[in-house]
Amino acid sequence: MLRFIVRRLLVTIPTILVVITITWGLIKLAPGSFYSGEKRLPPAIEKAIREKYGLDKPWYQQYGKTIWSIVRHGDFGTSLRYEGQSVNTIIRRSLPVSAAIGILAYLLALIVGVTAGSIAALKQNSRWDYASMTLAMLGISVPNFVLGPILVLVFSLSLYWLPPSRWGGFPSRNLILPVLTLSAIYMAYIARLARAGMLEVLRSDYIRTARAKGLSERDVVIKHALRGGLMPVVSYTGPALAFLLTGTVVVERIFALPGLGNYFIQASLNRDEPLIIGIVAFIAITLLLMNLLVDIAYAYLDPRVRYH
Amino acid sequence: MSKQKQIIMLFLLASVSIAALSCSATSDKDPFFGKTAPPAKNVFRYVSGDEPESLDPAISNGQPEARIYMALYDGLVEYDAKTLEPRPALAERWQANNDSSEFKFYLRHNGRFSNGDPIDANDFVYSFRRALKKETASRNAYLSYYIKYAQAFNEQRVFVRDPQTGQFLNAKDFDDTTPPEPLAGTPLDTAKDEYSSSGQHAENEPDSDFHKQLHAPLRLTLPGDAKARNKALDADPKLKAAVAGKELVPVKAEDIGVEAIDNYTLRISLLQPAPFFTGLLAHQLYRVVPHKAIEKYGSQWTQPQNIVSSGPFKVKTWQPYDKLVLERDPMYWDAATVKLDEIHFYPMSDNPTIMNLYKVGEIDAVLNHTVPNAWLEVVKVKQDYMDGPEAAIDYLLINVTQPPMNDVRVRKAFNYAIDKNAWATWRKIVKPLTAFTPEGIFPGYPQPKGDQFNPEEARRLLGEAGYPVTKKADGSYSCPKFPVDQVEYIYNTQESNKAMAEWMQAQWKQNLGITISLRNMEWKTFLNVRAKLEYKGFSRGAWSADYMDPFTFLSLFYTGGENGTGWLDPKYVAMLDDANRTLDPKKRYELLAKAEKFLLDAQPMIPIDTAAINWVKKPYVKGMYPNPGSLFPWKYVYIERDPSKWDYGTPSLTAD
Repeated sequence: MLRFIVRRLLVTIPTILVVITITWGLIKLAPGSFYSGEKRLPPAIEKAIREKYGLDKPWYQQYGKTIWSIVRHGDFGTSLRYEGQSVNTIIRRSLPVSAAIGILAYLLALIVGVTAGSIAALKQNSRWDYASMTLAMLGISVPNFVLGPILVLVFSLSLYWLPPSRWGGFPSRNLILPVLTLSAIYMAYIARLARAGMLEVLRSDYIRTARAKGLSERDVVIKHALRGGLMPVVSYTGPALAFLLTGTVVVERIFALPGLGNYFIQASLNRDEPLIIGIVAFIAITLLLMNLLVDIAYAYLDPRVRYH
Repeated sequence: MSKQKQIIMLFLLASVSIAALSCSATSDKDPFFGKTAPPAKNVFRYVSGDEPESLDPAISNGQPEARIYMALYDGLVEYDAKTLEPRPALAERWQANNDSSEFKFYLRHNGRFSNGDPIDANDFVYSFRRALKKETASRNAYLSYYIKYAQAFNEQRVFVRDPQTGQFLNAKDFDDTTPPEPLAGTPLDTAKDEYSSSGQHAENEPDSDFHKQLHAPLRLTLPGDAKARNKALDADPKLKAAVAGKELVPVKAEDIGVEAIDNYTLRISLLQPAPFFTGLLAHQLYRVVPHKAIEKYGSQWTQPQNIVSSGPFKVKTWQPYDKLVLERDPMYWDAATVKLDEIHFYPMSDNPTIMNLYKVGEIDAVLNHTVPNAWLEVVKVKQDYMDGPEAAIDYLLINVTQPPMNDVRVRKAFNYAIDKNAWATWRKIVKPLTAFTPEGIFPGYPQPKGDQFNPEEARRLLGEAGYPVTKKADGSYSCPKFPVDQVEYIYNTQESNKAMAEWMQAQWKQNLGITISLRNMEWKTFLNVRAKLEYKGFSRGAWSADYMDPFTFLSLFYTGGENGTGWLDPKYVAMLDDANRTLDPKKRYELLAKAEKFLLDAQPMIPIDTAAINWVKKPYVKGMYPNPGSLFPWKYVYIERDPSKWDYGTPSLTAD
C-alpha cells in the first residue's frame, strides 16, 4: 500500500510540470497582455512595463525563471495585474472561501443525495422513487447559472430573507444560497449513483444471505448494502471534491465570492500569467491528490481491491 | 400512477407560481428601485467596479481605481463635485504666468499624511519624479509629458553636451518642428514680470539656478538606447555631425520642470503653453504619495499594514475581491468637512449581481454603466436613477489601410447610412453623435456638426466610388459589386456590443443593401487585433475623457500608431499644435473645433453616440453628483436620514 502511494506521488510531479508547461505555453500564445486596455499605451511606457516584469527577456529565460522558482521555492511569483500581491498569498487567501462553499455543498449533496438515492432504491417504482428521480433529473438539467439567479430572485429580491451575494465570513447567512446552488447538481448525481449502486447490491447474493441469516432490514441496509452500494459515489467524490474545493467559476461570480474560481477566470481574462499558472498548478495537484485518496478509500471499502 | 402525476403537477404549479411571484415583485410602483432604509451606521457602501489593481495611484489607469484613489490621496487640486473643474486642495491657490507655461502653487501649511507627517512641496516633487521613473512603469506617465523634460526622462533619453564649453545642444537647431519657446523657456528678465497679468500681486522669489536653467531654450534629447540613437543619427547627417565628439548626459529626475521654491511653494514649468494644465492636476498621477513608506517597503507599501495615505480617508482593512474599508483620516487637513465615518468599496463586476445587491439595500450607490439594457425599462423611471451624459463616446474605428475602406467616399457612405437618432431612441439613454467629442460636456466649445443620416447621399457616394446601389422590385436595396468579403465588423464579446453590432449591420443592410459580417472576440484578443490593424472594415470603439478638455478626445488621432485605424495626417497634427499654442481659451476652442471638423471630413471613424452615465444611488446619499466623469470628491458625500431632504430624481449639476 505504502509503495503504491509513494509511486503515485512520484508520478504526480512530472504531471504537474507538464501541466505548468502547457499552461505557460498557452498564455504566451494568447494575444494581448495584462496591461492592454481601450487606451493604448505609448511605446516607451509599454517598454518600461515589459522591462519591469521581465517580459522583455527571451522566452527560455522567462520559462526557466518561472519553473525554477516553482521547483526551488514553491513560489509562483507575483501577480502582474495585482501589483505586489504574491500568487501564493492570493491562493492562501481565496482557498478557504472556495473550500468552505465547496465542502458544505458537497456535504449537503452527500446527505441528501445518498438518503434520497437509497430510499428510491429500497422503494423502487414507488412515488418516493419517482419524486426523487424527477428532482434529480431537474437538478442535472437546470444549470447553476439559472438556478442561482432563480434562488436569488425568490429568497432575496422577493422575500428579502437572504442576502443576494457577497462573502459574509464563515459561518453566515450569505453562505446559504451559493451552497444550495452549488450542491444541486452534485445532489442529483449522487442520488442517481446511489440509487443505481444500491439497486445492484440489493440484488446480490450476499444481501440475500444477510436477509436469510435473519438480520433486521435496518442492519441489512446500513451494515451491508450501503457499503457496497456507495462505491460509485466514492469514486465520484474524488474529482467532484477537487473541483468544488478549488472553486467554481460560475457560482463564485454570480454571488461575488472572493474564491479561487473568481480569481481564476479574472486572471485568464487579465492575462495574469503567474496567477493563472499558480491556480492551474494548484487545481492539478488537488485533483491528483483527491484521486489518490479515492483509490485508498476504495481499498478499505472493498476488500477485493488491493494495490500492489 | 395518478397520484404520482398529481405530485408532478403540484410541483410544476409551485415553480410557476414562484416565477409569477418574482415577476410581480419587480414591476411594483415604488418611486425607488428597492429598499430605501439608510444604513444603521454612518457608512457609505459603494460598488467600485473591478478589483483594484493596486492602491498606488501611479500604477493603474482604470476608472474603478481612480475613485478609490480620490478617497485615499489628495492632490494640488481636487475635482469640483459637479463640474469637475479644478478646486483648491493641498494647493490653497495658484498663479499661471502670462502664457500659462509656468505655474506656481502655494501649498497649505497644514497638509498631513495619515501617519502625521507634514506634506510640503518636496513631497510633490518626489511624487511627480517617482511617477515618471522608468521603474515605476506608470501607465499614466504620458499625461505629464507637458512638463518640461518629463517625457525625455520617462523615455530615458539623453542630452547632448559639448565637453569644452559645457553647453547643451538645443532642439530647435536640429528640428524644424520644435514649437516656439513659451515664456517658461525664454531667458529670465528681471525687468519684466512674467506673472503680471494674473490679477494677483506677483510674489517674487530670488531665482534659483534651476529656474534659470529651465528658462532657456529646449535642449536637444536623443534616445538613450544606443541602437535607437544610432538609427536617429544615421537618418540625419547634420545631427550626426553635430553630436560627434560631444558627451551624452542622461536626463535625470532632477531635470524635470518641477521645483520646490520653498517648503510650501511649488513651481511647474511646461514645454508649451497649456491653459488646461491645472485641470489635469486632479488626476491620480499627480496625487501626493509618501516618500518614506515607499522607500521602506517597495512594492509592498500599499499593503494595509504599511500604507500611508494623504486623502480624506485611510485604509482600515482590505480583503481583495471582497471589500476595501476606508475610515475617516483625522490627520487630513480638511477632516472637519469629511462627513462619513467609513466608505466600503466592494469590487464587483457582474451588473445583475450589483443591481440585486443595490435593490435589497446592501449598497448605497453603484458605479457608472451598471444598469443592464434589459433592466432600463424598469429602472430608468425610478427616482434614484442617475441620468446624464458622460464625457465618453461610442464610435466605430475604420481600418483605412485596405480597400474598399481606404476610399473616403465609402467611409462616408457607411456613416450616412446609420440613423443615429433611431439608435439613441432604441438604446434609451445615449445621445446621437455626429462629432468626435461628446456633446454637451465642454461648455463653450463650438463643437462642429458632422454628417446627418442621409441614405440617398450614402447610396450616391457608394455609386461614385464604383459600387452602385440598385433598388429591387420589393423596395429593398442591393449592392452586388461591393466586396463584402473585404469588410467585417469586430467587437469584444459582450451582450450590449453584440446588440450594437447587429443594429449597425441592419442599418447598412436596409439602406445600402450590404450585409457586413460580424465577428466577436475575447477582450484582450480584440484589443490586439484592433491595435495591429488585423481587421478589415469596422471595429467597435469607446473613449472616455482623461481630463475635461476636448483635446483628450482629439489627441487620439494625434499619433498614428495608437489609434487603431491607420489614419494619420500631419495637417491635423499641425492644427492641434496650433490650437494648443493659442493662449486665448475661446480662440483655442475655435481652433480645436476646426481640427475636429477636419477629422470628421476624413472619416477614419464613425461617431455613434455620447455615452450615458447610467447608474443608481439611494435617495439618502447626498453630496454625490451625476457629473460626466463619475468622479466623486468623497469628503462631501453624506447619508441624509431626513426623507424630506432626500434627492427625488437626478440632482442638478448647475443649481446650488
